[in-house]
This record gives sequence, C-alpha cells and structure tokens, in this order.
Amino acid sequence: MNDLINDLYQEIILDHGREPRNYGECDPHNKSADGHNPLCGDNLKLTFFLNDQNIIEDIKFTGEGCAISLASASLMTEKLKGKKIEVAEEIFKDFTNLISGKDEDLKVLNEEDSLYALKGVGGFPMRVKCATMAWHAFNQALKD
Amino acid sequence: MQKCKLRGKILSTRTVNMDNSKTLNLNVRKDFPILSKKILEKKDLIYFDTAASAQKPNTVINETNDFYKNHYSNVSRGVHTLSVESTFRYEDARKKVQKFLNARSENEIIFTKSATEGINLVAQTFYEKFMQKGDEVILSLIEHHSNLIPWFFLRDKYGVVLKFANIQPSGEIDIDHFDSLFTNKTKIVSLTHLSNVFGTELNEKAISICKDKNVPILLDGCQSAAHLKTDVQKLGCDFFVFSGHKTYGPAGIGVLYGTENLLSEMPPYQGGGGMIGDVSLEGASYAELPAKYEAGTPPLVEAHGLGIAIDYMNKIGLDNIIAHENEITKYAFNKLNEIDFIEIHGGDNKRNSIISFNIKNVHSHEVSSFLDVEGIAIRAGHHCCQPLMKHLGVNSTARLSFGVYNSLEEVDKFVIALHKCKEFFNK
Repeated sequence: MNDLINDLYQEIILDHGREPRNYGECDPHNKSADGHNPLCGDNLKLTFFLNDQNIIEDIKFTGEGCAISLASASLMTEKLKGKKIEVAEEIFKDFTNLISGKDEDLKVLNEEDSLYALKGVGGFPMRVKCATMAWHAFNQALKD
Repeated sequence: MQKCKLRGKILSTRTVNMDNSKTLNLNVRKDFPILSKKILEKKDLIYFDTAASAQKPNTVINETNDFYKNHYSNVSRGVHTLSVESTFRYEDARKKVQKFLNARSENEIIFTKSATEGINLVAQTFYEKFMQKGDEVILSLIEHHSNLIPWFFLRDKYGVVLKFANIQPSGEIDIDHFDSLFTNKTKIVSLTHLSNVFGTELNEKAISICKDKNVPILLDGCQSAAHLKTDVQKLGCDFFVFSGHKTYGPAGIGVLYGTENLLSEMPPYQGGGGMIGDVSLEGASYAELPAKYEAGTPPLVEAHGLGIAIDYMNKIGLDNIIAHENEITKYAFNKLNEIDFIEIHGGDNKRNSIISFNIKNVHSHEVSSFLDVEGIAIRAGHHCCQPLMKHLGVNSTARLSFGVYNSLEEVDKFVIALHKCKEFFNK
C-alpha cells in the first residue's frame, strides 16, 4: 500500500473517524461555534464549558464529515479537555504548524501526542481544511 | 465454406469496429499532453473529472500561444494590423460558436467570462425589462449553485418568487410537478440541460411546456455542450449558456446564446468601452448586438481558444465523441452496478458521461484521496449542488465523469482501485 495513504490514514485516525470520542453536546456549556467547510459541505457543532478558573471542563462535538474531519475533532476534544485556555491556545498554534509541515516550531506538542497522527494530512493540501475545521470552530468560540 | 466465409466476415467486421474505437481513443490521447503526466512521479494519470473541467488538446494550447506571440492586440479598437488580426480571430470564434449551437445569427452569441456570468446577465437584465416584485421564476432541485444564486439575488433584492421543480428517483425532473408550478406570474424558467450530478438529460417536454405557456426558458448547457449535440433552434430554448473550459477550451471564456428578440429588448448588463454607440457627458447610446453586452476588453485569446476547441471536436466528430463516451459510461455503470458496496445515485436510465456514487460507509473524500495516489482524478463533494445533496440525504458523493480521451481500460483500473479502497477503509 502506498506510504502516503498509510501516513494519512493511520490506525488511530481510522479508529477515531469510525468511533468519534466526545460526540454530543455539552450540558451545560457556555461556549459554542459551528464549523463548516463550504467546499465540500462537511460541518460540525462544537460546545464546551469553560469554568471560572479558565479550564475547559468538558468539550464535545456533533457533525458529519470525512474520516479526517471527524478524527481531528475527536482527537482535539480529547486533547483539550481539562486544559487551561492559555495552554489550549498554544496547542492550537502547534497543531496549525504541525499540519503545514512546520513541526520544528512546536512548543507543547511532541511526537508522543496522538495529534501527531494528523501530520500526514500535510501531504494532501486539499485535505488540510478537513483537519482544521474543528480547530477553527474552537478558535471562533473563544473569540465570541 | 460459405458459413466459414460468413463467420470470417462477421468476425472481421467486429475486429474492425473494435479497432476503430481503439484507434479513435489512441490517436486522441496523443493530442492531450497532460495525459503523459505521472501522478506522484509514478502513476499514469487517469482523468475522470472532465465535468469539473476538461483537459486541453495541443491545438488549443499551441493556438493560444501563437495568438500571443504573433497576432495579439486589443479587438475592435485600433486600425493597425495587429488589431485587425486580433479582431478577426475573436469574431471568427463567434462564427464557430454560432455554427456549433446552430444559432440563427452571430448577433445571438455573446461572449462572457463564464457560463455563470451568462446566467447572471440574463437574471439581471431580464428582470429589469420584464419583471417586477411578486413575479415568479421556476428552477429545479438539481440545479448547481450557478443556476441558483443569480436567481436568489432577484428574490433577495427585488422580492421575486422562486419555485423549484421536484426530481424523481431516476434523477429526472418530475414533469407533472414542474407543469403544476406555472401561474400567470411565471416570467422565466431556468433548468440544467444535463445534470452535473446524475448525467441525465433534460426531458424535452419541459421545453415544450414553456413554449405552450409562452414563458422563456434558459438552458444551462455547462455539461451538455461537449457531450450532446446542441441545436438551439431545434431545442427551442430562448437562452443557452456554456463555458469554454468544459468543452476542451480555455477557462475565462463563456458563451451566452439568446434570441435576437429578447437580447434586443433587454438592457445592457455592464457599462464600459466596446458596448457604446455614442457618448457625451450627458449620456450614451448603446452598441448593437452582440457588442451591447460585451463591455470592456473581452477574453479575446480565450475566445479564440474556444473556437479552436470547437474545431477540434468537429474534426473528431461530435457524434463519434458522444458514441465513445456513451460506451464508456455504460461500461462503467454496469461494472459499478455489479459491486455490492457501491451505491449509484439516480436510476438505471441513460446517462451521459457522468456517474455519481458512494462506497457504503466511506466518505467520498476518502475515496478521492485514495484514488489520487493511484493516479485517478475524480470529484468528491457536493458538486456545487448542496440543495440536491440534502434531497438525496447524503453529505457528498464521488463523481466519475468522462471525456473524449478516456478508455475502457481506465475504467477497469478504476474498479480494481475501488476494491482496494473499500478493503483499506473496512479493514
């Protein structure tokens, strides 16, 4: 099998794509945003609860999309749950660098992280948007 | 002895037929330099995305180059040699388009930048001349965004009412429902001539219904222009649009055909150089057709390229192209239909050069990325038809679309790759 395809679809991606974690809506939540990829129609709704110490106490998503977008949203929620917002923002920056091939600049993520599995998306420029949709929704929710 | 001879004859006829089909195919492939490209440095390109945009033959590439190298200037402006040469090429392209569509006159052929611009032009100027708030436009559920949004503008800006004809499971417009949508406020109808999702041709009854009710109809010919024979007079449509890039020509050029009556009555679309009669600071008079609708310097080289693309199709013969594509489409449909994990959208009716499908439980993006590394280019997504996708109950589909350069062998390779794809994602 082609290396590029194996890099793109690592076992963990296929697993999270088939069975996304933290799928649903947070109750209660105080932050939310919709993600949408107008080029393909994929979409998601992200909700989370930010407590008074600025910690993401719970985070969930619903939506429909390809394995990459679902797995990316699923892995994101796993990674961000329990994180302080400042740390979450650092992770967001690292993730953006990771999939645009600038992984030498990473500050908080390392190769042990499950998010690293999405690095292969960089080999498919048209799929980068699939992987970043959930993260842009997260970023948007913070701004709102 | 006789039997043998007869048999031999039949066999040889068959062989000749097969050879013809192969010869057509092989000779044509050499005309498209991009087909020798290796994808990811090792895979032969199999291009099944002609419905998104067709590849260009050498003649189009070389002739547009030659225009810039040897003949280029602005059109219809100067009196010098290059201006004459450019204008000649631009207007010659218009004649070729006129013949290609069998329009009555060159005045009925307007060059635009795209089919989309043609629809916007009609929507805006037709409204201005013939419509008011509360008037109705009939469209259908299978229209792509280019034939929806220009009409949405009329709804949002001027209070025009839009009605949408239902589709049947076969992918065809429900003619009875379509017929029932007409009222005395219906002013114009706009429908796709060939669906970019199902590959189904518009039932000509739809056009005759419009004729009976005396309502003008626009046909969106983006997909049909290179894959069906178009005779606007026989069809009886009032407007017809198509784009150069889907008909083996350059991007950046589109065509709007309109009857001289309507085009004469509708006001100009954009103002600028080239579309005027006489200008003073107090006002202007407008040029005659077709210049009236061609403000600004037009995409002249692209228009010439489109003319060359039409020459190219004529040289092979549109009938031969259509027969060739029909053979491949039918072959691919039957192959896909045999596979239990494939769901084909639309019915078993005849399709022209397009098949939409899904692998059960695999998103079309995954299918497209997987096939990409096998060298196979297909389209995945909503095909600019989000309302239709919603109707089908899918988020997206994968789409195969064929052109003159495709072959049965490519379909076989594609089917093998599909099986590998299914295996990979269901491991």
